[in-house]
Amino acid sequence: MSWKQTKDAPFFVGYLNAVPKPLVTFVGVFALCFVAGLGLAALALSSTQNDPGNGSYQWGNRYENVGILELRPYPVLRVPSDSETPARTYMLTGNGKRGAFDQAETNQDTSVTLRGVPVKRGDLTMIQVGRVEPVEGEVSGFTPAEPVSLGRWKLAGEICDGKCYAGAMRPGRGLAHKACADLCLTGGIPPVFVSAGPVENRNFFLMADKDGNLLGDEIKPLLALFIEVEGEVEQLDDLMVFKVDLATARILK
Amino acid sequence: MSVQYTPVIWNRNKMFYDAVLLIAIALYLYVFIRVAPGFEDVTKPIDGAILRMRAFGSCAFLMLTIILCIGPLARLDRRFLPLLYNRRHFGVMTAGIAAVHANYVLGWYFSFSPTDKYVALLSSNTSYGQLLGFPFESFGIAALLILFVLAATSHDFWLSFLGAPIWKALHMFIYAAYAFVVLHVALGALQGPADPIFTSVVAASVILVSGLHFATGRMEARRERGNETAKASLQQEGWLVAGEVDDIDDDCAKVVTLSDDERVAIFKYEGKLSAITNACAHQNGPLGEGKVLWGCITCPWHGYQYNLADGRAPEPFTEKISTYRLKLIGSTILLDPNALPPGTHVEPVEIGAAA
Repeated sequence: MSWKQTKDAPFFVGYLNAVPKPLVTFVGVFALCFVAGLGLAALALSSTQNDPGNGSYQWGNRYENVGILELRPYPVLRVPSDSETPARTYMLTGNGKRGAFDQAETNQDTSVTLRGVPVKRGDLTMIQVGRVEPVEGEVSGFTPAEPVSLGRWKLAGEICDGKCYAGAMRPGRGLAHKACADLCLTGGIPPVFVSAGPVENRNFFLMADKDGNLLGDEIKPLLALFIEVEGEVEQLDDLMVFKVDLATARILK
Repeated sequence: MSVQYTPVIWNRNKMFYDAVLLIAIALYLYVFIRVAPGFEDVTKPIDGAILRMRAFGSCAFLMLTIILCIGPLARLDRRFLPLLYNRRHFGVMTAGIAAVHANYVLGWYFSFSPTDKYVALLSSNTSYGQLLGFPFESFGIAALLILFVLAATSHDFWLSFLGAPIWKALHMFIYAAYAFVVLHVALGALQGPADPIFTSVVAASVILVSGLHFATGRMEARRERGNETAKASLQQEGWLVAGEVDDIDDDCAKVVTLSDDERVAIFKYEGKLSAITNACAHQNGPLGEGKVLWGCITCPWHGYQYNLADGRAPEPFTEKISTYRLKLIGSTILLDPNALPPGTHVEPVEIGAAA
């Protein structure tokens, strides 16, 4: 059973340039298989990656509009209806992993001209705020509508940071992205609940706590996981707000 | 073998080894980053930084998997020994590729924030109490630190400075690094949307590494039983029966196991017999699986050489290993199991002169 070295077996000594012929052939074939194997592995692994979706910055479609800045509880811009579109509410974010609280608190409940870059994924739009300038006088005849309650819902889905999920990163969700999402929320970017099932045909919800206040560290253990949670859903123009009762949250997987 | 420390003593085999490695790595990264995205079925392309961090991360994982397969492969089939010869370069390159992966992660997921990226890395996800959502980055950091330490101490200076037993023990942490990498992947990337190819590659890698080590362990155990001639044999006034002269090929050795950590290699050459410890002074390589070249025992791992009669490396080298006394009764070899101090001269036993 015991292995033993034999006189005729090829013997490799690394610092000798003369390598026995059978070993040259063997190592040559192995080297080819090694190189080809890694190339094929790269092709297989890279070409089958999951679709990160259609979210992206809309650099070619800069945003500029007049509206009223509110905190609900995260910064939003309320835009009056016009002849073509009904009133809208846009979630706002700052540059990088920063929120837009400074601009919103400085100009809270006042009319402003807001310039920025939309980050858009389907019907989820978030505006990365560039410049905010107060408008002289009120926006004529515009009083933002109060939120409309759509009742209490139990939704299953994932808590994401709204900016990365909207397209600032592709992909911008999942556990591999959890630490980034955590950092974004800490920086003031609004959390978004991405529901597996729609409410009024909408799957994205700006989140607040059950009393409508900002969410704190209590959502961190739930971040980026597939969870089930109950809460009240409100409609703010075209934006859905999910006031979650975290006591009911349950990790599904 | 060297009488002075130089960064790398290049030779043709090392250059070939490194060239194949560099070509394979470059091809992997090029295909992953440049070619394969053309075949992806995606609405919009994956971010360049994320694509690159995946390319470098998966490359490092596969490289580490292959590194860990080389050892058992070389035990199972000696033709793989040339892969072992320059494995430390493989390891250093793996550490470099893993560092690039980490740099992309830091520069993407942990940047663009008011929080310093290194602080963010350690503080942004602290859900250590849960399995799903566990900060898998910590496993990656641990693995990277181990790879850095192993890469930094891979040079023979450290082997000589620390001594072979400590150096070997330190470098066994490569297994801890692999375990951390597997956990890093399992609790991170594998928790994303279902990706059967990636899951299969990771599972196959883990099964391959574990399976090869298991198979090698079984083979070594069987071989050990075969080598235990001396332990099980009759003793004659303190001498152990080590086997028959005809069991050994010319310029080759027979390995005799005295205990779990003591093996003796008995070499037959030029009509003589000499016995030395089976462990090379360099990296504990199995000298008994080497051959006699130019009158010296030559280690099968890195070619370290020793004189047969005294276990000393030929001048100007300074390594030395333990020798043992032998005697012949007819064609039966008897071994004195007491190791002599490294470098002790023992007169070789003449085969023709046996009683």
